[in-house]
Amino acid sequence: MNVEISDLTRRFGRTRAVDGVSLQAGAGVFGLLGPNGAGKTTLLRMMATVIPPSSGRLRLLGRDPGSYGPRREIRRRAGYLPQNLGYYPGFTVMEFVEYFALLKDMPPRQVPRAVAAAVEQVGLAGKARSRLRTLSGGMLRRAGIAQAIVNDPELLLLDEPTAGLDPEQRVQFRALLRSLGESASVVVSTHLVEDVGAACSEVALMDAGEIVFRGTPDELTARGEGSGAAGDAPLERGYSAVLSAARS
Amino acid sequence: MSAMSMPLPRSARALRLEFKRNAVPYVLPLLAAVFVFDTLRTADGFAPIWALRASAITDHMLFEFGAFAGGLAAWAGSREGRRKTVDLVATTPRPAWARRSIALTGTLCWLLLAFLAGVAALYIQTAVQATWGGPPLWPVLVGAVGVTVVTVIGFTCGVLFPGRFTALLVAIGVLVLYQAGLRQALGVTASSGTSALLSPANAPPVVDAGVYHRVAPDLSIVQVMFMGGIAVALFGVLGLAPELRQLASARGLASARAALARSGGWLLRAVAVILVACGVAASWTAFALAGTAKPDPVGGWEIPALHSAASDQPVPATQDCTSSSGFQVCVHPAFSFYLHDLATALDPVAAEIAGLPGAPTGAKEVASVSGGQDVQSGTAANPPVFEFTAERVGAMFGQFNGIRDWAGWTPGFQQGLLDAFLTGRPPHPGPVPILLGPAQQAVEDALLTAVGSQPLNPNVHSAGVSAAARRFAALPASARHAWLATHLTALRAGAITLAQIP
Repeated sequence: MNVEISDLTRRFGRTRAVDGVSLQAGAGVFGLLGPNGAGKTTLLRMMATVIPPSSGRLRLLGRDPGSYGPRREIRRRAGYLPQNLGYYPGFTVMEFVEYFALLKDMPPRQVPRAVAAAVEQVGLAGKARSRLRTLSGGMLRRAGIAQAIVNDPELLLLDEPTAGLDPEQRVQFRALLRSLGESASVVVSTHLVEDVGAACSEVALMDAGEIVFRGTPDELTARGEGSGAAGDAPLERGYSAVLSAARS
Repeated sequence: MSAMSMPLPRSARALRLEFKRNAVPYVLPLLAAVFVFDTLRTADGFAPIWALRASAITDHMLFEFGAFAGGLAAWAGSREGRRKTVDLVATTPRPAWARRSIALTGTLCWLLLAFLAGVAALYIQTAVQATWGGPPLWPVLVGAVGVTVVTVIGFTCGVLFPGRFTALLVAIGVLVLYQAGLRQALGVTASSGTSALLSPANAPPVVDAGVYHRVAPDLSIVQVMFMGGIAVALFGVLGLAPELRQLASARGLASARAALARSGGWLLRAVAVILVACGVAASWTAFALAGTAKPDPVGGWEIPALHSAASDQPVPATQDCTSSSGFQVCVHPAFSFYLHDLATALDPVAAEIAGLPGAPTGAKEVASVSGGQDVQSGTAANPPVFEFTAERVGAMFGQFNGIRDWAGWTPGFQQGLLDAFLTGRPPHPGPVPILLGPAQQAVEDALLTAVGSQPLNPNVHSAGVSAAARRFAALPASARHAWLATHLTALRAGAITLAQIP
């Protein structure tokens, strides 16, 4: 298991953003669904070793991120796309991705090829030498994804990766997710259920800091059948039904 | 092979990116304009004496470069906070200290390159005009360390307080700090506390600094120690910044321990703590050393623990002389740029008094400071030679060298020569000499008028002095000479009244 979480809690003052979450994930694409404020981003930030948990146990890639050495090793082997992608406007796409490849301690000889491959994978080869300040929101998102995958990560954490992408780009991105999920653990946080249905082999639904559902997209769809829950698509109805049940 | 595919080490590749995308080059044209407008123009107004021109590095360049360096470094240091990449970079294995060091190095490289280019421009300008000596390196080192410390201060402020106004506030803070240091340094006397000498900015040195005697490097050494110590300590603080943040947000001892256990490796922490300790020790030592400073005999400051007696030895040099009219004028080769103008100015006055008792047969420039006191011009005996300094002639001081219009300072030299002749005063270290008596002043004004010069400040003289001067000037040269030959002793003794002047 690349991700092993048990009874994980994160508090901000008196607020429990993540409250006793337990889950495991191996290779494949794991979807993290939930409404705004459910705790998805906080859980992902803990998994990305940005913030430490307040309590509970977290093991990533078989290592304890609470210790300095293992944490560095996890960071070497992981990729992360934050919800709000910060970037340096003066850098070109290639430079931005190269910068993060270097920060991820990639062997210098591998960097040029890895950077070119990552930029190609997200479909930005034609804009490789453009400054980031000249790119659209969707292109910036793709540049962010490129930096996340440049080190060929074993654990890829993506927070709202399809935000800002047009439908064609989203279809391409889902295909990329599926291919990445063949060899790595990909955890995708999103509130767009169609992304989950199309790309994820497993899904967890969070609400108020807790996981209220864990299963496959088909199982989530089944929860909505005959429930009378709101939604245009079967998966959306399953999503609404689970949330309604959790809140009642 | 493209630049990107070159097998550079990771840090070098990252540094190349930082260097390429740094904000400093965008500001360089403005910095260059300020440098030319202030430093270069100011230095051009100084006499082409190396030590004097080099003082512009710490007195002007550092002021300009410091403000820009502080602001630009704060801009670079606050980048992760401003650009909201904190989460993104926090998930990389490279420690924050290493990451920031590269950004800091990229900024510092640009600033030091710009600074050294400015120094090169200043020194090339001086080399073209100077007639003796060579470029002093201590001011360059002090300036470079000054730029470095300001850069590190700015970068640290940017890291700790990221915001869009941080750069501006740091730039203003550096200007205020510089001015405060300068004010304190200007107020330093032998009897006051001397710690303010740590400020690299100070009053310009005497005109002949580094000409007759070497400029002792004592102050430069403690300034480099002090600023370098601050830079090293702050660099260590940068290494501890994540821990400091964790500790600040920790609640209770257990929480603090857990925070420390989570944060960077012990080796990095140990190195950072050692750097902070070394930096503080260096700065404190420099502060203590500066407190022991005392004026040296040749016009600078010495620090006993660092002082080398060799600094006090005169610098050997053969004076440049000219004697086209029989009146020999000699100056140090560093001042040979004004030898011809000086001889042209003094020759007619010397001719007016030639042959009279105590009349100088030549003029010679000497060191402006002796025994820690300013040397006043006068006529040395046996043989009688008018001795003046490049800093002081008669009542005129520090204002003639560098003035290209020699007509502006010529009367001052002529008056200085006559002052010494009419009072019989020898050259001496001490305070500014007492002014001439009314009869002496009238004779001096008359002699100046006779050689076609305007007496300096004639309006301050009384009507009686002016009238007597006009009468005496109207006499034929031979009559003036004869009267002086008869009455010179009484005139020097102050025993002649205005009415007795023909």
